[in-house]
Amino acid sequence: MKKHSIASALVATAALCGAGAAQAQVAGQFMVKLGWNKIMPKVRSTELSAPALPGSTIDIKSASALFVTATYMVTDDFSVELLGGLPYKHDIIGTGSVQGVGKIGSIHQISPTVMLQYRFMPADAPFRPYVGAGPTFAKFYGSRGSAALTAFTNPGGPPTTIGGDTEWGATTEVGLSYKIDKHWFLDAALLKTFINTKAQLSTGQTTKARLNPVAINASIGYAF
Amino acid sequence: MKKFHVLTTALAAAVFLAGCGGNEAGDQTPRVAFTSMVSFGDSLSDVGSYAVGVVKLQGGGHYSINGKGATGLLWTNWTEFLSATLALSAPCAAETGLTPVQGAVPIIGDETPTFHDASNGGTCTNYAQGGARVTSPVGPGNAALFNPNDQSTSGDAIGQLTVPVKTQIANYLAHNGGKFSSDQLVTVFAGGNDIFMNAGGVLAGLETPTQAVGAMTQAGTELAAYVNTQILANGATHVVVVNLPDVSLTPYAVGAGAVAQGLIKNMVVAFNTALQAGVTASANLVYVDAYAASEDQATNKLQYGLTDVSTPTCTSSSSLVCTANTLIPAVAPAASGAAATAANTYEYADSVHPTPYGYRLLAELVSEQLAIKGWL
Repeated sequence: MKKHSIASALVATAALCGAGAAQAQVAGQFMVKLGWNKIMPKVRSTELSAPALPGSTIDIKSASALFVTATYMVTDDFSVELLGGLPYKHDIIGTGSVQGVGKIGSIHQISPTVMLQYRFMPADAPFRPYVGAGPTFAKFYGSRGSAALTAFTNPGGPPTTIGGDTEWGATTEVGLSYKIDKHWFLDAALLKTFINTKAQLSTGQTTKARLNPVAINASIGYAF
Repeated sequence: MKKFHVLTTALAAAVFLAGCGGNEAGDQTPRVAFTSMVSFGDSLSDVGSYAVGVVKLQGGGHYSINGKGATGLLWTNWTEFLSATLALSAPCAAETGLTPVQGAVPIIGDETPTFHDASNGGTCTNYAQGGARVTSPVGPGNAALFNPNDQSTSGDAIGQLTVPVKTQIANYLAHNGGKFSSDQLVTVFAGGNDIFMNAGGVLAGLETPTQAVGAMTQAGTELAAYVNTQILANGATHVVVVNLPDVSLTPYAVGAGAVAQGLIKNMVVAFNTALQAGVTASANLVYVDAYAASEDQATNKLQYGLTDVSTPTCTSSSSLVCTANTLIPAVAPAASGAAATAANTYEYADSVHPTPYGYRLLAELVSEQLAIKGWL
C-alpha cells in the first residue's frame, strides 16, 4: 500500500504544475508508461474435487507490481496499448471448510494484455479520459505449497504442489491521462478482467476458480 | 527512438523471463515445531502393541491391512500418517506383549509385556492398545474373557493386554516425571471397545439397552475427565481429542440387525455428547468430529475417493493379522508382492477397522483441524 500511496502522491503533486502547451497523443505517436498496478481478484472457486475433504475452497489475495505499457496512437483518438510488467505474487488462502487455515500457498502470474483504446477530448487537451478493451493472456507459474496444504491433501506423503495453468481472458478499462508538458504525462486507470483458471494439485484434485480481478494503477508516461 | 527500444526490450524481457520458475513444495515446516507425539487409545491408534508371538509370525500388529506399503500407501495407521506430516519419526508402541491362553494359542516366547518408553530407555510414546477401554481393564481380546466351553470367546485366547486409557495415561506420567511438554502433540481416541462390550452385554441379556447407553455416557464423562485432569492439567498444550465415529455404520453393526444398529448409534451419541460436554474448552485442545466425518463418508463416499463402505477387505475375522496375502479377491494384489492398490477405495479392513486408506482419511481430517488451529 505504501508504494501505491507514493504513486498517488506523485499524481497529485504533478497535477499542481501548469499544463504544457505542446501537443500530445496525436496520430503516429509512441508513448510509454511506468507505474504501479494492484490486482484484486474477486474469487469464486469450486470445491476441491474428489478425493478431498468436502467444502474445501480457496481465495486468492491481492498483489501489486511495477507495470509498463507501450502505446501507439493509430489516430488522434484510437490507440493500441501493450501492457506488461513484473510478475505478481498472490497468496492463496483456504476458505469454506478450511476457513481459518490461513495461507496454504502462493502463485506467480503475469498477464500481458493488448488494449484497443479510445480517447476522448482533443489531442492537445490536458485531460484525456479513455476507455479500452482487449484480450489478456495469463500465465500462472512458480507456485509454492505449504505444510498445511500437504497435511490435508496427502498427510504423511510427499509435499503437495499446485499446478498453474495458462488462460485467455478479456479486459476492459477506464482511464484518465493528464498532460504535464510536451513529453510527460500522468495516467491512472481502473481495469476489470474476466478470466477463469483451473488449479491442479499434485495429488490429483482440481479446483476451478473464477478470478475476475479488478485492477487499479497509476503511472507516469513519456510521449516520444 | 533509442530510449523507446530500450524500454520495449526491458518490457519484453520482464514479460517473458518472468514466465520461468517451476511449481515447488514451499515451506513444509509445521507452524508448531513438535518434537514428539504421544497417543492414548485403542486399536484405532495402535501401531503394534501385539506385534509379538503368533501375531508377529503372521506379519500382523496393525488393525488394518498389515505391511508397510501393502496397499501402496506410505503408512497404515492414522497416527503414522499424522506423525509423518508433523515431520516426526514413525510412532512405535510404548508397551508390547500378549498373554495368550496356553493350549489355545501357541506360545512363541516373546509375549512378556515390555515397555519401550522412557521407563526402559526407549523412545516409543504410542500407548494405544487394541481392545483398550476408557476405564475398565478388560476389553475385547483380553484372556479374562476366554471360556474354553464357549466357542464365541475363542478370539479372546490371544490375550490382548487391553490396558485402559486411564492406565495408559498413568503409565506415561509415571515414566515421564508426571508431566507433558509444550512441544508434544497428545492424541486421545477411544470408546469403541466400551461400545462392543456393552452392546455384547445387551445381546447376552446381561444389561438393558438403557443401561448400555448409560454406561457410554459414563465412559464419555470419564474420558473427558482424564483429558482435563491428567493431560491438560499436567502441562500438555497441544491435545487432540477425536470423538467416536458412527460405529452403527460399520459392517459389525449392520450385520447385527436394525435393532442393535439403532442401539449402537444411541450409545455412540451418548458417549460423544458426554465427551464433548466434559472436555474443558481450551486453546490447548482440538476436538475433532470424526462422528460427522464418518457419516459423511458413508453418504458421500465418492467425494472421499471411496467406492465401498460396507465390505471388509480382509478374509481374517480380525484385521490384526490381515496382510496383502489375506484379502478378498476383489482387492487382492494381481501378483505376489504387488501392492493391493484396489483396497484404497474400501473403507473397512475388517468389520470395524479401516483400511490404510480409511485411516488416511482420518489423518486428513485431523490434519485439517490442526492446520485451522494454526498448529500445522
